[in-house]
Amino acid sequence: MGLAATIFSGFLLAILAPFLHRLLRGKTGWVFALLPLAIAIYLAGFHREVRAGEALRAAYEWVPTLGIRLSFYLDGLSLLFALLISGIGALVLIYAGGYLHGHAQLGRFYSYILMFMASMLGVVLADNLLALFIFWELTSLSSYLLIGFNHEKEDSRSAALQALLITGGGGLALLAGIILLGSVGGSYEISALANADGVIREHPLYLPALLLFLLGAFTKSAQAPFHFWLPGAMAAPTPVSAYLHSATMVKAGVYLLARMNPILGGSAEWHYLVTLAGAATMLIGALLALPQTDLKRLLAYSTVSALGILVLLLGIGTAEAAKAAMVFLVVHSLYKGSLFMMAGAVDHETGTRDVQSLGGLVKIMPVTALAAGLAALSMTGFPPLLGFIGKELIYEAKLQAPTAAPLILGIGVIANIINVTVAAIVGIRPFVGDKRATPRKPHEAPLSLWLGPLTMAAAGLLLGLFPGLIANSLVSPAIQAIRAEEIVLKLKLWHGLNFVLLLSVFTVLAGIALFFARNFFRRLAGRAQGLSFLTPSVWYQKGLDGLMGFARAQTRLLQNGYLRYYLLTIFLATMLLVFFKLVLPPGWQSLEKFAVARYYEIGLGVAMLLAALVALFSRSRLTAAIALGVIGYGVAVIFVFYGAPDLAITQILIETLSVILFVLVVYHLPAFNRLSGSRSRLRDALVALLFGGMMSALVLKATNLQLHPTISGYFAENSLSLAHGRNVVNVILVDFRALDTLGEITVLAVAAVGVFALLKLKLK
Amino acid sequence: MELLLAIVIGGLYAAAIYSLLRRSIVKLVIGLILLGHATNLLIFTAGGLTRARPPIVAEGALALTPPYADPLPQALILTAIVISFGVVAFTLVLVKRAYKTVGTEDLDDMRGTDR
Amino acid sequence: MNLLLIFPITIPLLTAILSALAWRSLKVQRALGVLGSAGLLAAALALLMNVWRGGIQSVQMGSWPAPFGITLVADLFGAIMVALAALTGFAVLLYSLGSIDERRQSFGYFPLFQVLLMGVCGAFLTGDLFNLYVWFEVLLIASFVLMALGGERGQMEGAVKYVTLNLVSSALFLAGIGILYGKTGTLNMADLAQKLRLEPQSDLVNSTSMLFLIAFGIKAGAFPFFFWLPASYHTPPVAVSAVFAGLLTKVGVYALIRCFTLFFVQDVQFTHTLILALAGLTMVTGVLGAAAQNEIRRILSFHIISQIGYMLMGLGLMTPLALAGSVFYLIHHIIVKTNLFLIGGVVQTLKGSDDLKKIGGLYKAHPLLALLFAIPAFSLAGIPPLSGFFAKLTLIIAGLKIDSYLIVLTALAVGILTLFSMTKIWNEAFWKAQPAGPALDNPAAATVTGGAFRLLLPVILLAAITVLIGAASEPFFALATRAAEQLIHPEEYIRAVLGGKP
Repeated sequence: MGLAATIFSGFLLAILAPFLHRLLRGKTGWVFALLPLAIAIYLAGFHREVRAGEALRAAYEWVPTLGIRLSFYLDGLSLLFALLISGIGALVLIYAGGYLHGHAQLGRFYSYILMFMASMLGVVLADNLLALFIFWELTSLSSYLLIGFNHEKEDSRSAALQALLITGGGGLALLAGIILLGSVGGSYEISALANADGVIREHPLYLPALLLFLLGAFTKSAQAPFHFWLPGAMAAPTPVSAYLHSATMVKAGVYLLARMNPILGGSAEWHYLVTLAGAATMLIGALLALPQTDLKRLLAYSTVSALGILVLLLGIGTAEAAKAAMVFLVVHSLYKGSLFMMAGAVDHETGTRDVQSLGGLVKIMPVTALAAGLAALSMTGFPPLLGFIGKELIYEAKLQAPTAAPLILGIGVIANIINVTVAAIVGIRPFVGDKRATPRKPHEAPLSLWLGPLTMAAAGLLLGLFPGLIANSLVSPAIQAIRAEEIVLKLKLWHGLNFVLLLSVFTVLAGIALFFARNFFRRLAGRAQGLSFLTPSVWYQKGLDGLMGFARAQTRLLQNGYLRYYLLTIFLATMLLVFFKLVLPPGWQSLEKFAVARYYEIGLGVAMLLAALVALFSRSRLTAAIALGVIGYGVAVIFVFYGAPDLAITQILIETLSVILFVLVVYHLPAFNRLSGSRSRLRDALVALLFGGMMSALVLKATNLQLHPTISGYFAENSLSLAHGRNVVNVILVDFRALDTLGEITVLAVAAVGVFALLKLKLK
Repeated sequence: MELLLAIVIGGLYAAAIYSLLRRSIVKLVIGLILLGHATNLLIFTAGGLTRARPPIVAEGALALTPPYADPLPQALILTAIVISFGVVAFTLVLVKRAYKTVGTEDLDDMRGTDR
Repeated sequence: MNLLLIFPITIPLLTAILSALAWRSLKVQRALGVLGSAGLLAAALALLMNVWRGGIQSVQMGSWPAPFGITLVADLFGAIMVALAALTGFAVLLYSLGSIDERRQSFGYFPLFQVLLMGVCGAFLTGDLFNLYVWFEVLLIASFVLMALGGERGQMEGAVKYVTLNLVSSALFLAGIGILYGKTGTLNMADLAQKLRLEPQSDLVNSTSMLFLIAFGIKAGAFPFFFWLPASYHTPPVAVSAVFAGLLTKVGVYALIRCFTLFFVQDVQFTHTLILALAGLTMVTGVLGAAAQNEIRRILSFHIISQIGYMLMGLGLMTPLALAGSVFYLIHHIIVKTNLFLIGGVVQTLKGSDDLKKIGGLYKAHPLLALLFAIPAFSLAGIPPLSGFFAKLTLIIAGLKIDSYLIVLTALAVGILTLFSMTKIWNEAFWKAQPAGPALDNPAAATVTGGAFRLLLPVILLAAITVLIGAASEPFFALATRAAEQLIHPEEYIRAVLGGKP
């Protein structure tokens, strides 16, 4: 009950948010923050049970026939993520109230961000994979609405779309993966699948399922080559960037990998694919971060790099790596959320986010500067901050990687050096040196804007000094959930003087050196513009344009506007399909049992065909009308020949009416023109003859086959005795099948209304 | 005679298809009318041909005595004839109005709604 | 005599006749329309309840025993379709009251609308093949007149194509009936099913089945037969488009599902694989067609085609789960698609255009409308937990279960393109600021917003149902599952029509 309430209270508040915001006005953020705070406190209360391995559960049936249950599950991994989501969520809600103060659509903003928070909690708490997927998609949707929040800007709209298409596309892959996994493992419940792991990794569908899962996780967590949507998503208001695109949503992929590790992990495929993607992303993110000058883009690329590190660690798959991953998860969420909020505060106060036009802000915004400094130090991995512990663990894990350890370590060192530089550019540079002219005259940010960053930065310091606060209560149960084994975790600042420490020192020193050489690399990057065709964002745009081009071409080709081509397509398709089944199976094609035609019947047939030719080729409408009449009367005569006088009478009546109507309507139109060329005439004649031949064959087949005696015997038997009519055809029409006749009369009446309306109704 | 009628039906279908594929809107209607004739004949033939008596119970008899023409296809065709008359009548007027509104009888010039 | 089976035909018929008698008084006609549609909805829901509780119902018209007379029969599938038709009819009729101009109203709009509903309901309920043809003609002629009513240039051009291609379809259907009767000597569908089941040479009807496939394929708007749809659906007034979009192609889908589960099941390997291939191509060509459009109604029209592909996918897979998916998809789609057309109409009324290049700013100015659009749009795109997600999910699970990977891949890819199309409308019409240029804002818009409630009422109704189907999908899914069971095991259907005979 409680678990479900933590999620659905968020959705409920999201629905009510626009209305409540009207009542609360400036205080909305502070009031709304109480909800995630309460959720965090409530969930944290379970840490003992979780540590003892008593996972908290709740389940409700939703669509049992499809296997969709709202089943939730709180173990160490869920708890760690859920606390990050709700804790940072509370700070972000307060922050957003200050950042978007007075915005006309702030109510909607709260709605979306609460919807996101609830969905994200759903992702990390769900036990049922399909339920997880539903929440997963909802995070994509709310991310779309939030990235496009400044909806009148073209950039925001296209960035929102890009993020939605990429994460949504990955989501569909994930869905397919989930279904495959469900059919392999016999359940959609994660907890049930975890107990059946041997079977799953042996199954032939393991690899496809794994690839689909990875596609889902990599798109969501911005792994190369899908990383480019994340910098684009910086078009969102800063609270969104801080929350969704650094601390939480982009970690959903990481969460999924961690969560699926006991089920899908452990194989060579997993190891290589995940490690490769992580390592590549780590390096690419860092390299792309270096030349940036916009605070948020700097942070975005370094987030990509950090996500790469997390994925890499999960790929390495050792206990050391899992430890490092979970600690770094906390480290990164704290410093990155803090730096993003700081960047927003600076932007809010100065009116710019360009690091080149910022400087000396420490005197004007001391509190913000303090938060920024602490967070940046954590990012560089400076003792005694939590970031230091994280970095040590990462190096340790890379050093012990089972394959290619030196290579992974080497790339890792490069990436970390750049991250040190980025930390300095973002967290230190704007606050030191000379003051510079900015679009707005800066003041210290209000409480709502510095509370969040300072809290998180301070947490980084506090946990660095006292890592025991979370080591055994939060982090080790999370590792346990990934590794599915008992883990004792000892976090400490001082490991003694060893290789890893030397690496850390080297990283920081090299990072500082790089900081001073940063302009050189910016220029270098400026010269590399010609290489932009290498970047996936260009492929995305090209792919999208190409698809649109193809769509237009295909539509022009198919929906070309020429009725005759539409008809031609239909006739050709008909012949293709019918011929295929007409000649097969053999056995019906004998013509022996047919009665021989009499000479006057043949004469009639020939006359009708000739009349048809006249109707087709005559230039005069009157002649065509007469020819049509001849055919119609010919049909009537055939009816007479073969025992259907009633039909003949009706046919003659109707035919006469039709011809009169035809003449009346088309009389005033000009004579026929020869409109089409001889080639298309020839083609059409060929198609027409083939079609006619096909229909002839169908008729012959039907007359030749009598799979069952007809039901007509009943009418012959009972027409007089039961329905009291001698003319069986009439009896069928008015009695046995009276409903047909009702329809027939309706058609006539409606046609009359239609004719009347077409002749009389003129708009305007 | 089935063969003969099959040929006539095939010929009428061919004529109908050819006419439908023309650009003239009036030819289109001619095609539709021919299609109706062909289909009615097809039902008639496929239902089984006999040069027998019409399906009318003779005076004094209590039921039809074989051989008689199958009454059911006849009833179907009767319904179909009337329905197709209604539809064709409407189509004729529609064509006339379309001609007046668009100002041409060339269907190739009536492509405005596809793009 | 089971009156509930006859009501869905007689209520619209009676309403149509009374409306026609009240030709000169639009007030009376409007009142009759509301009353008749509400009555139809009530009757349809009662029928659905009845079938759900008591199994397949049938009634022999004129008390002539099957297969000699005409049987009306309501299995769950038919009853669901009738209920959907009635719901669509009711919603669109409400919308018509505030949107159809008086000129059109005074030329028989209301009686025609009722005849259309009567034809649709008749098609869903009849157990007789030729009678199905008659109902097709009834709904067609009514749709012809509704399509052309008003006589604007676009309407005329669209109507010529619509009429021609649909008449070709009817001719093929009728020819198919004639040939099938020639081979089997019966018209009753249950009788056909039974006879063909016992017949060792039953694959001789395969060539005929192709005629049916094409005839219904044209009506359903499947590839490569759909041309009439994008050429015409955007030309008549919005209310007419909306009811067409909701119901007409679905009659074709219904007929395909009915025939190819009941009696054309001799060579499933061939026929249903073919249907599956057509389904995939229909999805793809439809969604690409939509991507190439710039007007809301044209985009939506192409999406009808694309969605038809999903419904046929279930038939092509031919497993109980897949058919349940198709039925669920129909339920979801009819409501969502009708609603999207209606919303497109509201946009047109507010902005004077539905060309995405010319309009914008709706998100800022009309948040309620934005929300009402988002619900069906994201549902259509398959975003959970809206109805479309569950519909697609079912089909995808069904496809993966029998290893039909290609169609699943297609369905997923088309899903993302559908999302693209819906966000295109959202981005352009709702998010984007109103572009500069000649003031397109409809001078009538002010009065419309005053009376907007009348237009929005049916939209809200349908959106609420969409949310409901998503949030509480289990009962709907159970309904679809039972309907699929009846389709794939037609013994109960045959027994209900033919009685206890072996």
